[in-house]
Amino acid sequence: MQPLEPNDGQTRPPAWRRYLRFWRSAPRADVAEELQFHLDSAAAEYVAAGMSREAAQAEATRRFGDVSAITRTLYTLSEERERAMQLRDWVDTVRQDVRVAFRRLRQSPGFTAVVIFTLALGIGANSAIFSVVHAVLLEPLPYRNAERLLNLREGNGPDVPGGMFVTFGNYGAWTQEARSFEAFAGYFTGASSLALTGVGEPQQIRVTRATASYWKAMYIPPVVGRYFDPADDKVGTPKVVVLSHALWQSAFGGDSGIVGKSITLGADAYVVRGVASPRYALTPQAAAAWVPLVITPEMLSDHSDHELNVVGLVRAGVPIHSALAELTRVQQDLHRRYPNASFDGTIVATSLLDALVGPASRLLKILFGAVAVVLLIACVNIANLLLARAAARRKEIAVRGALGAGRGRIVAQLLVESLLLAGAGAGVGLGVAALGTRFLVHNGPQSLPRLRDASVDGTVLLFTIGVGLVSGVAFGLLPALRASRLNLQSTLRESGRTDAAAARQPLRAALVVMQVSLALVLLVGAGLLVRSAMLLQRVPPGFDPSNVFVGGLALPNARYSTDTAAAARFDEILRAVSAVPGVKSAAVVNRIAIGAGGADCSARAEGTAGNSIGADMRTASSAYFMTLGIPMVFGRSFTAADRAGGPPVVVINRRLARALFGVENAVGKRILSCGPTEPAEVVGVTGDIHANGLASGVRDQVYYASTQVVQRGMTLVVRGAVPVTTLAPSIRQAVNALDPLLPIGSPRTMEEIIRQTLATPRFQSGLLAVLSAAGLLLAVIGIYGVIAILVVQRTQEFAVRMALGAHRSQVLVLVMREGMALALLGIAAGVVASIFATRLMEEMLFGVESRDPLTFAAAALLLAATALASNLVPAWRATRVDPLVAMRA
Amino acid sequence: MAESSVDLLHGSLGVLVLKTLSWGPMHGFGIARWIQRVTDDALQLEEGSLYPALYRMENRGWIKAEWGVTENNRRAKYYRLTPAGRRQLAEEAESFLRYSSIMTKVIRATEQPV
Repeated sequence: MQPLEPNDGQTRPPAWRRYLRFWRSAPRADVAEELQFHLDSAAAEYVAAGMSREAAQAEATRRFGDVSAITRTLYTLSEERERAMQLRDWVDTVRQDVRVAFRRLRQSPGFTAVVIFTLALGIGANSAIFSVVHAVLLEPLPYRNAERLLNLREGNGPDVPGGMFVTFGNYGAWTQEARSFEAFAGYFTGASSLALTGVGEPQQIRVTRATASYWKAMYIPPVVGRYFDPADDKVGTPKVVVLSHALWQSAFGGDSGIVGKSITLGADAYVVRGVASPRYALTPQAAAAWVPLVITPEMLSDHSDHELNVVGLVRAGVPIHSALAELTRVQQDLHRRYPNASFDGTIVATSLLDALVGPASRLLKILFGAVAVVLLIACVNIANLLLARAAARRKEIAVRGALGAGRGRIVAQLLVESLLLAGAGAGVGLGVAALGTRFLVHNGPQSLPRLRDASVDGTVLLFTIGVGLVSGVAFGLLPALRASRLNLQSTLRESGRTDAAAARQPLRAALVVMQVSLALVLLVGAGLLVRSAMLLQRVPPGFDPSNVFVGGLALPNARYSTDTAAAARFDEILRAVSAVPGVKSAAVVNRIAIGAGGADCSARAEGTAGNSIGADMRTASSAYFMTLGIPMVFGRSFTAADRAGGPPVVVINRRLARALFGVENAVGKRILSCGPTEPAEVVGVTGDIHANGLASGVRDQVYYASTQVVQRGMTLVVRGAVPVTTLAPSIRQAVNALDPLLPIGSPRTMEEIIRQTLATPRFQSGLLAVLSAAGLLLAVIGIYGVIAILVVQRTQEFAVRMALGAHRSQVLVLVMREGMALALLGIAAGVVASIFATRLMEEMLFGVESRDPLTFAAAALLLAATALASNLVPAWRATRVDPLVAMRA
Repeated sequence: MAESSVDLLHGSLGVLVLKTLSWGPMHGFGIARWIQRVTDDALQLEEGSLYPALYRMENRGWIKAEWGVTENNRRAKYYRLTPAGRRQLAEEAESFLRYSSIMTKVIRATEQPV
């Protein structure tokens, strides 16, 4: 038999089934009637067979079984069915809405494409930044017990808010006395490098000197072998090394057999203990190898030279604050015993994660805020477009309403359309996010830890879907609610001309005002950062960075066991390099300005107990000031007379001289700093320099003569008479002619060093400029859209005006006034919003106030000018109206 | 009625109903009567137990219920087979026949186990 209608329960139920509900709304009554029919029919049969009515009914019931139990079962079964049908109906409705929405979006491909494209950019930018935020800020650090790790510094008054590095003496005291810490990792980073020879070309590698407790506090399981233990950082034990995963791969081909073998670092043999986890490398500048930091009893008695990075692991179960309270007690006790050693008895503690990503978090928060604002502007734009569309669809919606669709249904249907758009936008946005993330990873400041880990992963995917949903509702809800709230009668009764009623558009105007104000906030923010970056670039560093070559020279202890030998070799190297044709002058210094900064010491005048001033201790050869172009203000630089063993001499900078003695009087005075224990005579006063980077101010310096204070690890500084980049090979030859095993570590130019410090501000200002341009563009499109529609709606009015003698320019002004009123209102609101918003970025600004009037004015002008331009087109079109044609329409 | 025959009934009631409806739409009472007739009332069907089976089959989409009118002009709920129900009948009938032929072979076997 052919079924009556093709429904097997698998395909979609027919739409009419929903109306079945009208007479099938009582499943319980159905059950009762069906069973009653059965009993009646059976009874009738028995009556026909000759039974009495009563007997027949009794027999029917008996043969039926337990009527009430069966009835209950049937109730349950029919309710199940009812629920399943409701769900199916709901799915059905959604499916239908989606299909209708699809059809309608296909009907206006231009609109759909614009919306999807706008959303894809907005959502994609958000996801790209989020992928970086996720990798850099949100992921926990890879160390075991990372939540109990604290970065610890010694407090030293309000001038040094970040605190001082830790002295060996205090480090030793902490390790001994602070029981609430499980371990204190002590380590040096950055400045230390060693030559790796014997495998391929000799190369200078970055080495972290770390205590054995480093591996206890900041533990990640090794790849092969093990880390060094307390027995290894005692004096006199054989030298051991832990390789980084990257070095193990690049220099040793990932050979596990390297463990236990010996490699040559500097001039010494080191036994490889193991290979560290690759997750230790948080930045590209991470250590290539770790060697034990051997702390001698003599170092443990030093409580004034602040050198050591310390990370403490709080004991499990001990609250962080009580651990810090105990450490502070220890520190206060130390302060009582050593009152004049650049620490004040307080502890500056930050979680290790904050210490590592703190500076990055500010940058990323600003960027995140900016992309969110761009997406908001985009959403407002789309909401505006949808409002315009809804105005054109009033008839259609009114018809639906008249046919019985409730307000909820109409809103739902319009929302489905928005969500479809948002979904498509998010989908394309994922592609944008992937590109954006790649761009950020490759071009972001390399100092951002873990930046390389950023990728579009599951979390970012979820984030993108979430942002898509939220924006879909954000731009769709208002237009949908609005569209559903119309008077059916008046709309249906209107003539074919639907736009007459749409002339009321205060909502759209409000949205445009909002857009403009948001765009202004972005512009002001970007303007402030761009100005900061420009000002920063223009800061005179205090020396001449152009055409200066910089490279590391580290004389190994084993081959240069005495200071005399080391000093002699540096002297030879300088003479050889100076003799290279094209070299103007050459010098060595222990830490190059800006490239290797770090507050590390203090200075005071001889005979004064207190009043020590924070200053960096440097040791430099005599030509250093001339080579780097630091002007000598008074006195002289070092000479051959300032030889080892002679009375120590120093050169100090002008500001320090003024603070200690007054500039003119400084020469000839004697000071105490971190050099020799005896006071040193000031022989010269130099200009001030920004030794720790352009963004931080002048930093005071005490220069000792490198002949008198000898260090093995120095930086070669060469000024060229010809471009220094062409000199690098001959400089290397000159050095290697004297010591073929001595590489030049990380050779670069002074300009490169400065450019590197400017990378972050440049990156953030550039990115924000791009984002604000996008915001500006979207806002302008918004103004244009509203004014263009206004012109269309008022075409007849303009025609009448012109027919009555109004000049074209009068119509032009009329239209322009509407548009500019919106723009100016938006700008006014934006200025107020900016005053609050820019306060959040105060810390990132340099040389410019967060309320810089120049920036505010420029941003407002730019926005007003673009708004004006975007109004011109529709306004001009209004003046082109032919009165006759327009009025006849 | 023995317990075992009740079990048999539960397992095969579905096939019986589907088979009944394969002749055309029918109400519950008619289905009960037809099954009694073709089985010579051997199954001793407790008539009420038919209905939960019908409802379950409807929820599964094998049969479909519709209100109709009998020859005596009374409102009654008619069940008819859906295409899915027709497929189900074919499947169940085939597996039942296979099962029964295997069982027959086993029971008639003359070979002694080794």
